[in-house]
Amino acid sequence: DDDWQEAHERLAELEDKPVASREQDGPGGEEADLLGEPEDTLAERLTRLVIESELEDPAIMQAVQTRVPTQQPGGLNSSIWDSSAVLRRIRGPLLTQEMPSVSVLDYALPQRPPQAREEERDPSERALPRRSSSPVIGSPPVRAVPIGTPPKQPALPNFNQQILCPKPVHIRATMQQRYPAPYGERMSPNQLCNVPVPSPLCHPPRGWEAGRMSPSQFARVSGLVGSPLPSVNPKLLQGRVGQMMPPASGFRAFFGAPPAPPPSQPQHPPGPASHLQNLRPQPQMFRPDTTHLHPQHRRLLHQRQQQNRNQHRSLNGSVGDRGGHRSNHQEQIRKDPYANLMLQREKDWVSKIQMMQLQSTDPYLDDYYYQVTGDGEAPSPFLPPVPWATNFEGSLGKLTVSSVNNPRKMIDAVVTSRSEDDETKEKQVRDKRRQTLVTIEKTYSLLLDVEDYERRYLLSLEGERPALMGERKQKICDMYDNLRGKAPGQER
Amino acid sequence: MNYMPGTASLIQDIDKKHLVLLRDGRTLIGYLRSIDQFANLVLHQTVERIHVGKKYGDIPRGIFVVRGENVVLLGEIDLEKESDTPLQQVSIEEILEEQRLEQQAKQESEKLKVQALKERGLCVPRADTLDEY
Repeated sequence: DDDWQEAHERLAELEDKPVASREQDGPGGEEADLLGEPEDTLAERLTRLVIESELEDPAIMQAVQTRVPTQQPGGLNSSIWDSSAVLRRIRGPLLTQEMPSVSVLDYALPQRPPQAREEERDPSERALPRRSSSPVIGSPPVRAVPIGTPPKQPALPNFNQQILCPKPVHIRATMQQRYPAPYGERMSPNQLCNVPVPSPLCHPPRGWEAGRMSPSQFARVSGLVGSPLPSVNPKLLQGRVGQMMPPASGFRAFFGAPPAPPPSQPQHPPGPASHLQNLRPQPQMFRPDTTHLHPQHRRLLHQRQQQNRNQHRSLNGSVGDRGGHRSNHQEQIRKDPYANLMLQREKDWVSKIQMMQLQSTDPYLDDYYYQVTGDGEAPSPFLPPVPWATNFEGSLGKLTVSSVNNPRKMIDAVVTSRSEDDETKEKQVRDKRRQTLVTIEKTYSLLLDVEDYERRYLLSLEGERPALMGERKQKICDMYDNLRGKAPGQER
Repeated sequence: MNYMPGTASLIQDIDKKHLVLLRDGRTLIGYLRSIDQFANLVLHQTVERIHVGKKYGDIPRGIFVVRGENVVLLGEIDLEKESDTPLQQVSIEEILEEQRLEQQAKQESEKLKVQALKERGLCVPRADTLDEY
């Protein structure tokens, strides 16, 4: 347990030299307390919390175990943070038993002195959790170097950057200025990953015990982080949280009160929104209005627009040579940022389904239109015949599948074909039937007349009666002849 | 690329401006972005156009996904010929008002007709029940 004391003394020697060159004054002149005197309780508590959470985090611990601690306490290049004793000191006696063999901070720290900046990036990169390299469309591009990584300049006088920087190096360089670091200078990259998105969509951060803070809370806590914070934050979060984060430009639009809604936002105005201008007849070029879009979507669209333009340019050659009509049309298609939302393979898929529906085993049987028209031209099958469904003709319940060649049956008319002999026979039958019907009609009308005579007989005078009876008799004979197939009016 | 010669397919119509007539009588105008085997449509930058007499008004609607069975017909709009139309565009409020008046007039005349028929002992089936095949 003397380690920490030794390390402490060594640091005291170390710090003596660069003290003079420090710009800032700070109460961090004394090294009595590792974290500095003023505003220490809070800072200390927070740091403890942070480190505690780290030690409980299995991911960190696992990563730490695999690392061989290469740096021994001592030497010009060491710092007070290198030793795990530091951790002990900070955490307090209660938690001693959970001390790892290699301190978390060791892991997070770079191996080399502050001068060799290039390699220092590696440990912090390695400290990063494994992240998919394929970017989500619309998210900012994956950076090989974390955004939180400070630039390569050595001492950063900027206090804010110091706080937000995940790189302990720079903090160490300006250690003198131990001035409020409520977030804990030894922030591991993991912590930054856990910074929640300050959006209405997320739950508010769970609180102190998680060791995670939202930037807004952080700002409140520190009390010293002023306005620069919001401007730095988006960049910070951008590389970390992933696709939910808007780029810095869109930050205020989402999380602050937007100064004014974008002009083309769909309102319910008397006049149409500006993006509708495109639907109005426009003699000039098609101007896609994309200001209503999310900035990432807009960027994506413009990228695709560029691609389309390049594609068309390579394919079409010089547009100016063509007729005015077509070039205008092509311009319009080319400048459409939303074109080809439906991918080629999707179009192929749909047309494949449609072609499947056109298939039939026997077009001469299945093709309704061919049957009806009886055209000489054969219906060309679009694809080689494939065993299709069985014939459903005559089935109850109508199982036929409606298609182009087989439209839905409205009337159950069955077409039957006849030979020549059959035709004449049926014709004869039909004629005979008609004749018979005519005969019956005639007979009946004669009968009616006969019945009429009786009435007339009663009404008529005596002299006329024999004549009436004669006529009646005649009618009856006509009927008889009619029924016998002879023309009426024959003499008996 | 001609997908299927001798057939009707919407694939060639993609990314073009279309006028779509729906079964409920609405007229939509938008860019056809996507289709499927049921002729479900995705219309982009859609506008609902209301016609009353010689006037029309456009209501911006955004993106539409139309179930295929609700489409009566659709046709491509020639962007150049779109401008020369004898129709007059008016504001949304105005066209909605005109539409309301038209509906009102139609309802009144319908009521009179039904009344007259009822007096004569006839009844006319309602139009929506005829929409069955």
